[in-house]
Amino acid sequence: MSRIINTLLIGISGGSIYSLMSLALVLVWRSTRVVNFAQAGQAILSTYIGYVVVTHTDNYWLAFPVALLSGALIGALVDIFLIRILARRANSGPVAAIAPVIATLGLLGLIRAIVGMIWGGDLRRFKLPVTNHGFTFGHTTIPFAPINLLIVVTTVIVMLIFSVIFQRTNLGLALRASAFSPEIARLAGVRVDLTRTIGWAFAGAAGAIAGVLVTPTNYLSPNSLDLLLVSGFVAAVIGGLESLIGAAVGGLVLGISLAFVLEYISSSLAFPVAFVVLMAVLLIKPAGLFGGKRVRSA
Amino acid sequence: MFALRRTKRGVLASATLAVSALALSAIPAQAFSVHAETGVTATQIKLGITIPLTGSAAPGYSKIPSAMQAYFNYVNDNGGVYGRKISLVVKDDAYLPTLAVAKTNELILKDKVFAVVGALGTANNKAVAKSVNLGRRGIPDLFLNTGYSGFADAKKYPTTFSLFPSYIMEAKIMGQYIKENFAGKKLGLIYQDDDFGTDALVGFKQAGVKFDVSVPYASGSQSAQSAQGWIGKLKAAGAEVVVMFGVTTASGAALATAAAMAYKAQWILGSVGGDATTLKAVGVPAYVLTGAMGASFLPAPTDTTDEYVKFFQGINTKYNGDAVFDNNVLVAMNTAMMTVQALRAGGKNLTHASVMSALENSGSSFASASLSPINYASGVHVGYSGYWFGTYNSAGELKPNGGAYSVYTTDSGAGAIVKSTFKRPALPANGLPTN
Amino acid sequence: MDKNIARRKIVGATFFMFLGIALFIASNIVDELRVYQGATVAVYVVAISSIILLTGYSGQISLGHGALMAVGAYAAVLSRNYWNFPIPLTFAVAVLAAALFGALLGMAAGRLSGPYLAGTTLALAVGLPSLANQFKILGGEEGLTYDVGFPPLSLGQDFTQYKWFFWIAALAALAITWVIFNILGSRYGRQWRALRSNPTAAALLGVHVARSKVLAFTISSGIAGLAGALMSMTISLVTPSAFPLSLSFAIVTGAVLAGVTLLTGSIVGAVVLVAIPEVTAALATHLGGSEKVTSNLPGLMMSTLLILSVLFFPNGPQLHRRKTRKS
Repeated sequence: MSRIINTLLIGISGGSIYSLMSLALVLVWRSTRVVNFAQAGQAILSTYIGYVVVTHTDNYWLAFPVALLSGALIGALVDIFLIRILARRANSGPVAAIAPVIATLGLLGLIRAIVGMIWGGDLRRFKLPVTNHGFTFGHTTIPFAPINLLIVVTTVIVMLIFSVIFQRTNLGLALRASAFSPEIARLAGVRVDLTRTIGWAFAGAAGAIAGVLVTPTNYLSPNSLDLLLVSGFVAAVIGGLESLIGAAVGGLVLGISLAFVLEYISSSLAFPVAFVVLMAVLLIKPAGLFGGKRVRSA
Repeated sequence: MFALRRTKRGVLASATLAVSALALSAIPAQAFSVHAETGVTATQIKLGITIPLTGSAAPGYSKIPSAMQAYFNYVNDNGGVYGRKISLVVKDDAYLPTLAVAKTNELILKDKVFAVVGALGTANNKAVAKSVNLGRRGIPDLFLNTGYSGFADAKKYPTTFSLFPSYIMEAKIMGQYIKENFAGKKLGLIYQDDDFGTDALVGFKQAGVKFDVSVPYASGSQSAQSAQGWIGKLKAAGAEVVVMFGVTTASGAALATAAAMAYKAQWILGSVGGDATTLKAVGVPAYVLTGAMGASFLPAPTDTTDEYVKFFQGINTKYNGDAVFDNNVLVAMNTAMMTVQALRAGGKNLTHASVMSALENSGSSFASASLSPINYASGVHVGYSGYWFGTYNSAGELKPNGGAYSVYTTDSGAGAIVKSTFKRPALPANGLPTN
Repeated sequence: MDKNIARRKIVGATFFMFLGIALFIASNIVDELRVYQGATVAVYVVAISSIILLTGYSGQISLGHGALMAVGAYAAVLSRNYWNFPIPLTFAVAVLAAALFGALLGMAAGRLSGPYLAGTTLALAVGLPSLANQFKILGGEEGLTYDVGFPPLSLGQDFTQYKWFFWIAALAALAITWVIFNILGSRYGRQWRALRSNPTAAALLGVHVARSKVLAFTISSGIAGLAGALMSMTISLVTPSAFPLSLSFAIVTGAVLAGVTLLTGSIVGAVVLVAIPEVTAALATHLGGSEKVTSNLPGLMMSTLLILSVLFFPNGPQLHRRKTRKS
């Protein structure tokens, strides 16, 4: 019984990280209809910036907001200098769907190369904000530590904040409108370009948070967030790209399934299982768990 | 009518390309076997190495090429090998077999190296052997950075010269140590799930050691998260003594996660993943490493009373930038010293054949830091064959059990495990071989 | 419309001819390395054309064609090692196995579109190759040997192994390109183009949308399977590490660079994929600098080139003037 609980806990803490990354991807999707593969690149750059702060000030809690802000800034810059141009040029033909994919893939490679040039490829340690020693109850130590609790709590807070913004504020309305129909939104007086940039800034911040939270438990290198990107994307699709709650749930579903497979079956089946879970969800609900009934063809 | 025209054009295109392909093939190409003096000029000897500089297995091993080049530069500054300077072409293969194949092809076709030296990774070297087949091309494949026992098979790999003791040897010696010192305890094993790990399994079986729980991991899958699964299984089985036979990032993940999960056991680290400096760099807290055991065939990198270690530390300071001197650097420089002696023994008229027959004839008397004898002989490409055991102290130094290095040697078969009386050759004057 | 297609075919044929002549001339100067790279280019031509068919024509996106290449490769190797099939038959097995897999995938993913399909194929790309570690018969991380044997002695003593690879791969690429050319010109190709631009209108016109999409997926997968087998031939090895996620990305990239709707662009895309890393690596060593800089410079240049080409040539190199109709 305790093994099940332990596995569940491991799954929740792992899944929360997927949720954060998936939140970032959904944010971009909902505000710009682009799948942002460069998310991992933006996140790793923000994380390295946070790393610089931590190594110089030895204060994680200072690095956190710095990374967050840099993530937002980087996201905004990417939108202004890349996506805006892309949206104008490739908006018809079969390339319209893939051009952003390729562009963001290219951007991922670009950021990774720049990070490698500045900091080199060797692995670095990122200081833990709180310990990764599991909580102890009497004699038993569970594989859930203060750092995991921090991750879960942060994920929930981020999700709530962004949900409120999207559903309850004018900004959120503007974001959704610009994504759904830029022309009509423009007619309604929404500053589409600015709104979209804000959406990217939000996503960049979310990705940065994911980066600085997960990196202390592993190590920092230019490639360390790549797999997270894939998991985040899978989680986003599972949850349905249209819903922030879906993103969070998708992350948990993925995290928990992976944890159980890793524990009870084998570590080499992790990704095949992710694929199976994804397929299973999509076969029943082609728009993801929380996607609407109608599948919008992108 | 239209359809006919379309087909005609397709045929035209196909015919053109077919003709050009035929014409291409009619032109005589370069001879299949590479000329014996490729990579050697009057002033230079070009060597090549494939090694993970990036990727999940890179930590620690990525220091090897620059350490080797550091020693080569020292030798170059002192006349080189009969006036020829040694240069090392380094290719990153990220510990992936396919990249190793691609990069080795580059070394042979593009860089045209004289020999491959220190190529790292069991799976990688096996893939290269199957695919590029240096043996068939007559290119020396020296001092591989792997202990897979199969590479010592001189018939299957005629140009390959193993250096490290095989994993079977290591497991046998480790197994005997476990039987003598940890009898009756519950045993656990974490191993890499390819020939690197299964080689060890053969050795443990030879030694008669049975593990209560065995946890394989797929190469590349090691991470803090997957390590949680490993530790979970060990904990569930109640293992008190755990052997860790994996690369450094895997042992790092295992130890760090064990600390986080408050799992205590007597850890025994295999030589591949036992470098203390790298382990600390990947996040293993010092207290977890203290009391763990490890094996090595070289003196401890922190043992400044050893003349080879002292000498190499000096080279490291002068020629290797700001690299921290650890076991990886020591291993690398030792390999480099062996390489220089092999090249010298190959004579002024350096060819593939001369180097390889020199190794067979005189390789066993080369000077090296290893406390184990060298076993090269005609038709025998086995290098070292022994290990000593030590325990890590709180400073991360591996101190030999019993105070002095006591080396045990064996073979990769059913041979006995014998306490060695080998006395290694003294360090050549100024560390410059004169063989 | 006839004139446009005819003109396109003329350009295509001329392109082939120029390429053939260029190869002929270059072969007098180049060495084994280039021939080996030529084999790799041929492999990419096949892989990229599979994406062109799937994405450029039927409008479905796949980020996981590397996994389909893996299916083909493993099928080829297993049929050789266990049933001793001759090489051409192993290629056929590769195509069939991958096509079957693609058919199943296409059926399952039939209702998915855009990012959902992308996500599914992405998960496949990452998940499938690691199965090799689970089933011993697939050889694990170390892989299985795929030995196509030496070139026949009738071709002479000097005929190198690499040239043999090139000959096989180039011939296969040529054959498959011709096949695709004809499929795309057939009614299936027209159906795909119709459903790519407007599925509803296509359905009204009598196109069975779902079946058409699955057919595209099946054929595209079969072609990818062949590419996988060819690729394994060039390294004589099948291992999971030969089919990383970056491979799937690379062939989609090549297809986009080539102009996703232009079949002859597959050659351009393939050459770029092989040549650019070479060129940028050479440039990087020439410019020099610290190790951190030189090892990342090729990646930097490649990525920048990619972004720029997608930004400024989103529809690939326009080899001829054609009004971009919205269809």
